Amino acid sequence: MTLDSFIRCRGLTREYRRGPEAIRPIDQLDLDVPAGEFLALMGPSGSGKSTLLHLLAGVDRPTAGRVEIGGVAVNELSRHRLAAWRARNVGFIFQLYHLVPSLTAFENVELPLLLAPLSRRERRARVEAALEAVGLSDRMRHFPRELSGGQEQRVAIARAIVHDPPLLLADEPTGDLDRRSATAILDLLRSLGRRGRTIVLVTHDPRAAEVADRVLHLDKGRLLEAPA
Amino acid sequence: MWLPFRYAVRNLGRDPARLALAVLGSALVVLLVMAADALDRGVRRTLRATGRPDNVILLGAGSEESVQRSEISPRAAAIAEAGIPGILDVGGLKAVAPEIHYMAPLEVGGRAGFDAYLRGGTPAALLVYPNVALIEGRFPRPGEVMVGRFAWRRLGVRPEELRPGAVVRLDDVPLRVVGCFAAPGTVLESEIWADLNDLRTIARRETLSCVVLRLRPGADPADAELFAHQRLDLELVALPEPVYYAKLARFYAPIRGMIWLTALLIAAGAVFGGLNTLYAAFAGRVREVGTLQTLGFPPPAIVVSFVQESLLASLAGTILAAVFAVIAFEHLTVEVGGGVFAMTAGPGTVLAGLIAGAALGLIGSLPPAVRCLTPPLPEALRTG
Repeated sequence: MTLDSFIRCRGLTREYRRGPEAIRPIDQLDLDVPAGEFLALMGPSGSGKSTLLHLLAGVDRPTAGRVEIGGVAVNELSRHRLAAWRARNVGFIFQLYHLVPSLTAFENVELPLLLAPLSRRERRARVEAALEAVGLSDRMRHFPRELSGGQEQRVAIARAIVHDPPLLLADEPTGDLDRRSATAILDLLRSLGRRGRTIVLVTHDPRAAEVADRVLHLDKGRLLEAPA
Repeated sequence: MWLPFRYAVRNLGRDPARLALAVLGSALVVLLVMAADALDRGVRRTLRATGRPDNVILLGAGSEESVQRSEISPRAAAIAEAGIPGILDVGGLKAVAPEIHYMAPLEVGGRAGFDAYLRGGTPAALLVYPNVALIEGRFPRPGEVMVGRFAWRRLGVRPEELRPGAVVRLDDVPLRVVGCFAAPGTVLESEIWADLNDLRTIARRETLSCVVLRLRPGADPADAELFAHQRLDLELVALPEPVYYAKLARFYAPIRGMIWLTALLIAAGAVFGGLNTLYAAFAGRVREVGTLQTLGFPPPAIVVSFVQESLLASLAGTILAAVFAVIAFEHLTVEVGGGVFAMTAGPGTVLAGLIAGAALGLIGSLPPAVRCLTPPLPEALRTG
């Protein structure tokens, strides 16, 4: 599995300094995730789940160690190249949706496509397809303030998949939703997982983790179970 | 890689109060810059227009920069009339105007202490200043004055207090207003003209301030200069009027500089105010900026969008200011350094306003936009 891992982390460490004190939310972590796997990362607050997700997305940089995604050493990319790599390869789903309030659902979903060499017609077709996939074809012209929390998260998922990235990272995507909306979002993620995307889901909700192919537990920056 | 323009446009509507403040604030600053420019142009244009190329002014040697300080013999007018070739002759009258220029406090409407610029002359003045047109009444005789149409503004009195029929007092001598004249675009319009002998008596002076000659077309002003050089006994200097007013323009240069400096200092203050507002506005978008970066938008794309947003607000203010300026400056005159000048807004004024508006938008938004990108991405994404 190590050889054909889509995600490969070795000795991954993230250290912050707070005065004389060193804090390591991720500490010497090794992780392998094969392509197409739906992995759930669980752990209590402060266990390093979100930090790991940020390191995988290239949003944060490790203090030590190596992150390879699809054969690319993400931690070695320059800021500019990292932004371009992220635009092509990562779809990110946030707990609080992080939609741009001044843009409609359509325009929010269109954002990642503005970074790709696509015509307006191609962008339109892809956005409509993504919004249809999350069941929001009838809400394209709505602004985030006109949508429910569940609908906002579905728009965020459409935004994360519209450019068809090989890696989908979800940070507590159901953490701010009621049970019904959360179930709908998890069903959506499960169906995306079945279509061969590599998904890493961070959650502290065991029900949410059930939709994943594999569950790993994090505590104090280390995996409690050996990497599969 | 760029964010859509509509993102910048829509962001303007996020906080209508801030938008109104930004638009009005930039409108005020741009208006100030346009006013400074229009006034500067007005001063320069008026001084240029006042000096006629066919007029020569004879002044006392050594007083080339101030006709008020100049003193020349009362015989100079007659001697110059006889001695300088090429003086214009109108119906047997030579265009030679002896003048006394006198600044003194005037009593208007029973109130004293209005500093007036008085010019004592003879009807020949109308021959040397063909752009002076009586719009009401007639040329003054002894005991009378006529007023430029903007003299009231220079004095700071009501227009009706200088209408024909009104009586003003100069050094306790009553003078009836019998006429009002226009001389478009020249400094003459803020003056009060009196009879030459009246002013000589009131000012208690034997001498003239100057003699103004109007030459025939094609006549050479050098003849007047030669006359001044030859008649050493008169101690004269002959200056073509444009040269004299160019020297006068130098007197206004520091005043114009101060006007610009004041406008620019206020504009700089406004930039700091704008910076403060935008720091607060953009600080509320740190998470959104983090999200856009996570999606792959590079920092320059975000900075450009924020600058677009700020420029839109400041340019809206610029348009507002330009419209107001075109309407308000049209008939506005301002007193500067003892002269009254019409504001002169032109394409250059609009350009100055545009540059000021763009500078406000650009300088006011760049530091807040850059600061918004400063927090590390994980921290930005966690911002509430």
